[in-house]
Amino acid sequence: MSRSPSLRTDSSAPPFRRLLVANRGEIALRVIRACRELGISPIAVHSDADANALHVRAADRSERIGPAPAGESYLSIGAILEAARSSGAEAIHPGYGFLSENAAFARAVEEAGLVFVGPPPSVLEALGNKLEARRSAAAVGVPIVPGTTVALEDDVSAVEEIGYPVMLKAAAGGGGRGMRRVDEAGQLSEAMAAARREAAAAFGDGTIYVERMVAPARHVEVQLLGDRHGGLAILGERECSIQRRHQKLVEESPSPAVDDHIREALFDSARRVAATVDFHNAATVEFLLDTYANHFFLEMNTRLQVEHGVSELVTGIDLVAWQIRVAAGERLPLDVLQAPRRGHAIEVRLYAEDPYDGFRPTAGRVGVWRMPDGPGTRVDAGIEADTDLPPEYDPLLTKLLVHAADRPAAVDRLRRALDETLIGGVQTDAGFLRWLVDDDAFAAGDYDTSLVAERWRTGPALTAEERSLAGLAALEARRAAVASTTAPATAPIGSAWGERARREALRG
Amino acid sequence: MTDYEVRIGDEPVSAADGWQLEWVDRPSGVARLVNGGRSLHILVEGSGPDWVVTLRGRRIPVSVRSWRERVMAEAETAAHTHVGPVEVKATLPGLVVAVGVAVGDQVEEGAALLTIEAMKMQNEVRAPRAGRVVEVAVGAGQTVATGAALLRLE
Repeated sequence: MSRSPSLRTDSSAPPFRRLLVANRGEIALRVIRACRELGISPIAVHSDADANALHVRAADRSERIGPAPAGESYLSIGAILEAARSSGAEAIHPGYGFLSENAAFARAVEEAGLVFVGPPPSVLEALGNKLEARRSAAAVGVPIVPGTTVALEDDVSAVEEIGYPVMLKAAAGGGGRGMRRVDEAGQLSEAMAAARREAAAAFGDGTIYVERMVAPARHVEVQLLGDRHGGLAILGERECSIQRRHQKLVEESPSPAVDDHIREALFDSARRVAATVDFHNAATVEFLLDTYANHFFLEMNTRLQVEHGVSELVTGIDLVAWQIRVAAGERLPLDVLQAPRRGHAIEVRLYAEDPYDGFRPTAGRVGVWRMPDGPGTRVDAGIEADTDLPPEYDPLLTKLLVHAADRPAAVDRLRRALDETLIGGVQTDAGFLRWLVDDDAFAAGDYDTSLVAERWRTGPALTAEERSLAGLAALEARRAAVASTTAPATAPIGSAWGERARREALRG
Repeated sequence: MTDYEVRIGDEPVSAADGWQLEWVDRPSGVARLVNGGRSLHILVEGSGPDWVVTLRGRRIPVSVRSWRERVMAEAETAAHTHVGPVEVKATLPGLVVAVGVAVGDQVEEGAALLTIEAMKMQNEVRAPRAGRVVEVAVGAGQTVATGAALLRLE
């Protein structure tokens, strides 16, 4: 179905009447909020594990799409299309992860006569194969990490030519899976077998290739937004070097490592890579940056990124709203195409993971949930207080973003926001993040992808003061618990109920 | 009033001079630690002798035991040195993807018993001590909750 492009300047004509959000958690809520602001009725989907989830209650209605395992629900193309049909949705937003880069899904959505909020299926096919993407980038003169542009087979002479250490990567890759660092020839065959196995399990395709290990390196990406009429906005870069398991924990914009000269080169490469595909939608071109300021193309993702909010804060542009408007055929106006960037933004991801134990996932039940507030502070949360965490899905609890005039002010604001944050019931990476804002290398902006492994490791030992404070708090808590069980049956002073009773008595 | 013994790990805890605890919301455990010019928000969860204090994002397990609880715990530790059956329980909810042992198997301390997948990661459940497997309560493909009995060692 084709829509006539419009230059909508008021909110009288929503781009769609109903839009189905084919995702869960914080990103489903983010898209639902954009729908509300555009006058679109948001439709959620849920597995049995999410029947009572926050995103379900935020939408106008929600369709059940299957049991808890993602393979039978959030990854079920048939169930999602059926949900769109029965709810009367005109468009489907896939969020990130799940089906967001699945060409078969995008094609099925179009064949059902619906609008896919994303690029054409052919673009997803072309970019989904990282080897093909490497070849196209190299063909338009964009530097790629030295390595193979064809699949690595049993003939490993290519690896010897590149020289150790090398990285093995999955051609169908993403999310750090199927990636293996190899330091010497003796490890190669075992690492190749493991990478192939992991890639086959994760993507149904065991094809791998090899790249030279670029280290130390920073991970920097460029945010793009394209319309269906050739309009392309370059919305700055994001620094994403703080990672564990090749997955991001902290993102900031602008990158402290990028000066105007490097930025110009990055934007030029991003523009060239984008021109190799006929895409519209939000997209990201990812690069490695070495210590000599050389950049190397890694991949291009034509979907919303987890960390999109960082770019929204520095540009003031609502990327999710524009994804939807662009999908409906609107042109990007000049104030988006030439958006200036202002100040500095940082995002931290709060995961149910134990940073003192190798960032191991910590499933369970979140009890207390106190999020920060105040100027320049944004919380994109997927849960609320007293929530069981379903073990089937990604352990991201919330994203916390701050925006300030410059980087030092943003770091100070982040420290303040983290000090206001309290999460009960499960260990999160908040302990790591709180350490990070006081770390000298982070404060100086002088860090690379090795920060977690080399500076944090498993975290510092408890200080004498921390031990004393924790001991005091636990002792007082036990004394108070004992006192309240032996005290008369009135609410303890200082409790929420006591406070409320006192206020009501005063109001009289 | 030194009626309790406070420990973190195996070490007793020294007093936090000058600091005081103020409750912000006692039922939920939200509190403030204040010391003249400084203060920080913390969370205190637990009951009886077992507490967890969340301080600058880090959960710190603290044991607060009365004299009576100490004596009883010591008696229990002594009893545990005698070899009895041990029930291995799930420490996190997830999907059992593989069971590597069967009834009758002799296992060493630390041996991998089964694999539970949670949050897209595979976690090995290991033997808390050496022994013989006398019962396997779960099979591959089964979903387990935290605290669910997985198997018994003798």
